[in-house]
Amino acid sequence: MSISTYTMPLGPVHVALEEPVYFHLTCEGENIKNVELTSGHVHRGMEQLAMQRNLVKNVTLTERVCSLCSNSHSFTYSMVVENALELEIPERAKYLRVMAEEIKRIASHLFNTAIQAHIAGFKSLFMHVMEVREIMQDVKETVYGNRMNLAANCIGGVKCDVTDELLEYILKQMDVIEPQLEEITDIFNTNHIMLTRTKGLGLLPQEDAIALGVAGPVARGSGLVKDVRRDTPYAAYPKLDFDVIVEQGCDVHSRTMVRLRELFESIKLIRQCCNKMPKGEVRYPMGKIPVNEAFAHSEAPRGEVAYYIRTNGTDTPARLKWRVPSYMNWKALSVMMRGCQIAEVALVLNSIDPCVSCTER
Amino acid sequence: MDTLLGILHMCIFPGGIFALVIGFLFKGLDRRVEARLQRRVGPPLIQPWLDTAKLLTKETLIPKTACREAFLMAPVVGFAGMAVCAAFIPIPGVFNGLYNMGDLLVLFYLLPIPAIAVMMGGSASSSPFGAVGFSREMIIMLAYETPLLMILLSAAMLVGKAMNGGDWGAEFSLLKLVEWQEVNGSLGLNPVMIPAFLAYLIFLPGTMGVAPFDIPEAETEVVEGPLLEYGGPLLALFHVGSALKTFVVLGLGVAMFFPGTLCDCWFINLLWFIFKCFVLMILSLTIVKSATGRYRIDQAFRFFVMVPTMLALCSLLMVWLI
Repeated sequence: MSISTYTMPLGPVHVALEEPVYFHLTCEGENIKNVELTSGHVHRGMEQLAMQRNLVKNVTLTERVCSLCSNSHSFTYSMVVENALELEIPERAKYLRVMAEEIKRIASHLFNTAIQAHIAGFKSLFMHVMEVREIMQDVKETVYGNRMNLAANCIGGVKCDVTDELLEYILKQMDVIEPQLEEITDIFNTNHIMLTRTKGLGLLPQEDAIALGVAGPVARGSGLVKDVRRDTPYAAYPKLDFDVIVEQGCDVHSRTMVRLRELFESIKLIRQCCNKMPKGEVRYPMGKIPVNEAFAHSEAPRGEVAYYIRTNGTDTPARLKWRVPSYMNWKALSVMMRGCQIAEVALVLNSIDPCVSCTER
Repeated sequence: MDTLLGILHMCIFPGGIFALVIGFLFKGLDRRVEARLQRRVGPPLIQPWLDTAKLLTKETLIPKTACREAFLMAPVVGFAGMAVCAAFIPIPGVFNGLYNMGDLLVLFYLLPIPAIAVMMGGSASSSPFGAVGFSREMIIMLAYETPLLMILLSAAMLVGKAMNGGDWGAEFSLLKLVEWQEVNGSLGLNPVMIPAFLAYLIFLPGTMGVAPFDIPEAETEVVEGPLLEYGGPLLALFHVGSALKTFVVLGLGVAMFFPGTLCDCWFINLLWFIFKCFVLMILSLTIVKSATGRYRIDQAFRFFVMVPTMLALCSLLMVWLI
């Protein structure tokens, strides 16, 4: 280290971070020369734990991997077990699963957007976005009885049916939230401070995005058309109409815009689910557990979540392994943070919507 | 006798206790109004008092690697500088200001003291966040002191020229400025001085360190920067200094641009003065704070050079030429 550089710690506990992760920034004045990362503060040994519990209990376990994409984990886990059991789930359950997933997606994207405003020092915008997000929290609480972990999925279908009355309520709330989301999108797209802070920041060129294999809004913000919901459709997605949002800017701003524009696609999906959903059962029984292995993946708010399971005929899995999108996106930080300033580190980090708990599990 | 009176002015009215009461009242109102703008309830008006009282009960911790003397001195210097400053602010119809000779120049030299104190504390704390905060504070100070100097100069030159019957002149007594405005109308309404007033409105958030210029103490970037290592009574002293500074910069703005009085009753004039300070604060601090995010330091510097400096220069040139 030369005399002009100094080390600045960012984390493990830092205002701009929601979860513990430790960056060693080597700085020269305001400019960053090198970034090193230490993680592992929230490692809970979940994969090992999953191999000691039975298949049904693991639904609850996987839902607790992370908070914002909790539903994606139990959703994909249920799918992978159903694939191993070669179990087809009821049609209505598929729609209900998609609905829960999209409700969580709206809340997750809004949370990330709000945190971006907070990091940029825009307290009022943070408050505003969080207030709009509260509508989704209300929906979750009213429909599923919980504000964070929905506990919607179970192996063979979904836990509870959603009544027509509740579906009507969801549709009504979608009408309430839509104009407000348009307003927020407009603010992020036109506000002078947000634009000066996020435009051209944290560049991830398309070739780097391909090379690093990034997922979710990070990939779509760099112009890659990549969405598991469209590429290998699962649950009710093949029957639903939606667009894959892609932005060409490759910067923090385009990632935000991908997230904000995806909200409207999610609203579209929820509306279609409510209208198209067939009547019928919501859950089939599990049946006998064979010796088998299976794979399933889905599009979580942060990108592709993949689960692999190997069963040995008993009710405990012989191996359960999952890969989360933040792990891939994390690597892209080294490209994004090249030549950025201390003031920008937190913004760039937030733009990949890192889920430390998922990654370290 | 004069010395005693001066000390009384610095400690009780309008400096010291009075300025502190008003400063804390304004801080409370500021938080309250900001909360209402964000659809929150906000803390009670006495929250700044409660915060300070709580801090005073805490123990004083000094980092092992810190430069002890400078670390302890910094908040005291900031507080003392502002307590003296407050005594220089004339309250029209109530109080004439401590010195009536060139106090505008004295104020210009005293105003940066809290910023210097923050820089001193930040660099003495030996924390890397303090170091970054120090360099940022220095940059932002350079940025906002230039327009301030031009604003003060243009006000002084305008009044000086008028008093000299159109000849070259500058009047650096704040009291004379106030008296001249009582006869000839407020400077804030003078077309020549309007750009300078706008520049002063932008200078206020810069000097008070609120969004979009809260860069040295940016929480999400450098975790309070220079103030990070401070706690307990020392931090309370910084808060007190900041409250005094609120009174000083707002009072200076009102005295320089809108010093008009309502009647001969000193009490009503005092209330009127406080009300004008309040309006100035809402306009330049609270609304701006709740409607913007934070600039990066280089963007803020560029903004200060491009907008307030140019506005102030405009006024200065107009005063010079007309």
